Amino acid sequence: MEKLRQSSILKILCYILIPILAAILFLSIVHISYLNEYQRDGNTQTEYKQSQWFADKYFYAVLDKVGKAERSEETGQYIQLEDSKGQKYYYSEDYYSDSEICINYIIIDKETGNMYTNIKSNDYQQTMNENSSNPYYWNMVDGQIQTDINYMNQDNMKYDYTYYHEMNDTPDLIDETSKTLKDYNIYTSYNQARTEQSFDFVTTQDIYQFVTSNQKLPVFALSISLILLTIIAIYLLWAIGHKKGKEGITLDFIDELPYELVFLIFCCIIPMFWAIAVNSVTDSFNYIFVTILIISYIICYVMTAGLTITTIKRIKAKQFWKSFLTYRILRWFKNKIKKYIDEFKNKTDNTKKIFWLYWGFVLITTILLSMFVTGIAILILIAFWIWAYYQLRKYVRQEEMLKETLKKIYDGDTNVHINEQELEGALKEMAIYINDIAGGFKNAIEENLKAERLKTELITNVSHDIKTPLTSIINYVDLLKKEDIKDEKIKEYIDILDVKSQRLKKLTEDLVEASKASSGNVKLNIESINIKELINQTIGEFKDRLESRNLQIETDMPKEDVRIDADNRYMFRIMENLFSNISKYAQENSRVYIDVKKTNKKVNISIKNISKDRLNISSDELMQRFVRGDKSRYTEGSGLGLSIAKSLTELQKGTFDIVIDGDLFKVVMSWGTCQIVSK
Amino acid sequence: MYNILVVDDDREIVGAIEIYLKKEGYNIIKAYNGNEALEKVKENEIHLIILDIMMPEKDGLATLEELRKDKSIPVILLSAKSEDYDKIGGLNQGADDYITKPFNPLELIARVNSQIRRYVSLGAMEKKDNKQIYRTGELILDDETKKVTVDGKEVKLTATEFNILKFLLKNKGKVYSIPQIYENVWNEESYGAENIIAVHIRHIREKIEINPKEPRYLKVIWGIGYKIENIEK
Repeated sequence: MEKLRQSSILKILCYILIPILAAILFLSIVHISYLNEYQRDGNTQTEYKQSQWFADKYFYAVLDKVGKAERSEETGQYIQLEDSKGQKYYYSEDYYSDSEICINYIIIDKETGNMYTNIKSNDYQQTMNENSSNPYYWNMVDGQIQTDINYMNQDNMKYDYTYYHEMNDTPDLIDETSKTLKDYNIYTSYNQARTEQSFDFVTTQDIYQFVTSNQKLPVFALSISLILLTIIAIYLLWAIGHKKGKEGITLDFIDELPYELVFLIFCCIIPMFWAIAVNSVTDSFNYIFVTILIISYIICYVMTAGLTITTIKRIKAKQFWKSFLTYRILRWFKNKIKKYIDEFKNKTDNTKKIFWLYWGFVLITTILLSMFVTGIAILILIAFWIWAYYQLRKYVRQEEMLKETLKKIYDGDTNVHINEQELEGALKEMAIYINDIAGGFKNAIEENLKAERLKTELITNVSHDIKTPLTSIINYVDLLKKEDIKDEKIKEYIDILDVKSQRLKKLTEDLVEASKASSGNVKLNIESINIKELINQTIGEFKDRLESRNLQIETDMPKEDVRIDADNRYMFRIMENLFSNISKYAQENSRVYIDVKKTNKKVNISIKNISKDRLNISSDELMQRFVRGDKSRYTEGSGLGLSIAKSLTELQKGTFDIVIDGDLFKVVMSWGTCQIVSK
Repeated sequence: MYNILVVDDDREIVGAIEIYLKKEGYNIIKAYNGNEALEKVKENEIHLIILDIMMPEKDGLATLEELRKDKSIPVILLSAKSEDYDKIGGLNQGADDYITKPFNPLELIARVNSQIRRYVSLGAMEKKDNKQIYRTGELILDDETKKVTVDGKEVKLTATEFNILKFLLKNKGKVYSIPQIYENVWNEESYGAENIIAVHIRHIREKIEINPKEPRYLKVIWGIGYKIENIEK
């Protein structure tokens, strides 16, 4: 079975048999259709010459001759002769016509009396009379038909007499003279001798004889060829694509080409050769034409067969659609779209939502707009627009709310909570996350505050423990100083002890304060503070110390009061620390500039002085605890002053910055203007 | 000869205080915890107690509470606790003064003198019903004699200082800013000489206050102004 399937010889045989069988099939069909035609007569066994077919051709011949007679003057085919009785006639040796049948004729134009003929005769009257004695004659005298041919007598004659003119497209006749056969007296008879010399006639007659005498043959041939073709078709459908020694369907080069391309090529070639073949059919029998015809047919057949085979192969290999270039292009598009859809699926709900919302909006708007612009459509559209605007606004508002909350957290207010039930979709999720983060921050900050508080407590407790022994040290050093000591060395030592113990005292106090200030562990009593007053008071407190170092204070303050919200004791602490620094570290005999500037929302205070020592340190470092201008400096103070000032400023919602420019030391503080209505 | 009871668990501090106060002519009685102090109060006639807060057995505040049940002896608390709320707590408990450790010996002496003067001469100073006299607590200004006394001790002030103090004392309890003080004392508008007033006030403070940084009478409200505390006694 498999061998049968893979057999090349069998397939080639099939390919050869197909056209033969197809031809047989075709001829059988033609045969049957002929039989069908003739069966209308109900007499298929009659002589050919009594058939309707013959009658048709005979009549064509008559019409042809009448036409020639009519155009005799134009064509000049006829020569004028005279018979023995003096009858003049026009003669032409004209037997053949487009029709296969040759006739003898005498045509007399009733109007002119001119006589046209292809018979040479001495007595035309006699010839005319004799005409009727010929087998197969047809006369038309004064419009009356005389004939022995079936289908051409008066009763059966179904043709219009002008038929010929229309058929042969001779408008002259119709338009100008409009002559019909009835304007002539016509005498014709069948010229058997001449006719039988015509190849066409013989063939036609033979075919006719064959067709009519073998009525059962076509049915038989038709059946056989159909059966064989069916078998071959089934076999080929089954066997095509299977090759010897190979499993499954083997695809050749041609089968890999895009189907459209193959189809297009075949569709171009087949009709081309088909056209050549059809146009090669002419009246005359010519071997060259026959050869071309056959070759064309073969090419057409091979092409059709090839196309069919590759189609079948592709279908069997399940490659038919895939081999389409269009399919490949579509698949490429499909993959692209699929990729996009996959990407889309992976996108967040929010993105999807936006996608559907936006394109849904576009779609619905388009649909509504393309609807008849009726009142209802417009109303729906407006309602839809309003709805869409409402949705969008709602979304934006919720987003705004989230933003505000985030900003609060960013600004340090962790005591926030969003009611996530009020939100939808991704925003709801965001709200939950934000709540979590805020909670986390809050906890972290509280933990941190707690730790700072503990630290402060620890420092405070430690400082208490230090203070008690320190009290004794200070007091006994003081008592020692009051003793009458002669030894200068001991006096010097006692002085050192005095300075150091005082410094230790200051240090413990500042340490507690710095710790409290930086941890925010201080109670603020916020009220409206006049900066001008504060600065004047501070200057008053430090006047003597500043003057002792010959420092000149230059103030630049607005005339009106400048007020901020702060705690007056801590404000003084800040100023005290700064002035204390100035009185310690400013260059002697220099000026100290204090500027107060008030804008709409801000109060800026800047204090500038020239440092007596080189400031080999960054401003950030300066503000850190225990750091002083000159790292190795050996003076009183704890080094906590600036740190405390900065912490206290920030506690009171101000900013504190230090700018160092060479020896210029500048402190810039800024507060928001007073919100409390002053008393 | 006044008897002063010094109570502290730190014997050296008690010793140092003894040295200072003996020089001032006081008789010192020592105790090293609360219970001992209460016993000493029963045994002796005490005119002033210097009391430490953090002590074993009975701490200063508990001792003070018990003492105040039947005694009105002036008590100065002496503590390493320097927070505001410690001071307020101690004073509310019935203490008359509060000194933080480490203390300045001179300040301690001044405060002791002040308390003793007030305690001993309480009621002795007859209240002259003179309109020319202005007072708050133990700060008295006599406009007639142009004398100022604190705890019975005369204080020397310059004419300007006297005028400023008089203005503030006249309006005790009220806060005045520098320009207001200037305008009221000089009777003219101030022209940028504001810090002069501040300097004067500091000088007054240094003269009338035991510790100018923690004034009892002339209070500084930073960034707002100055006032004389109204102390009814």
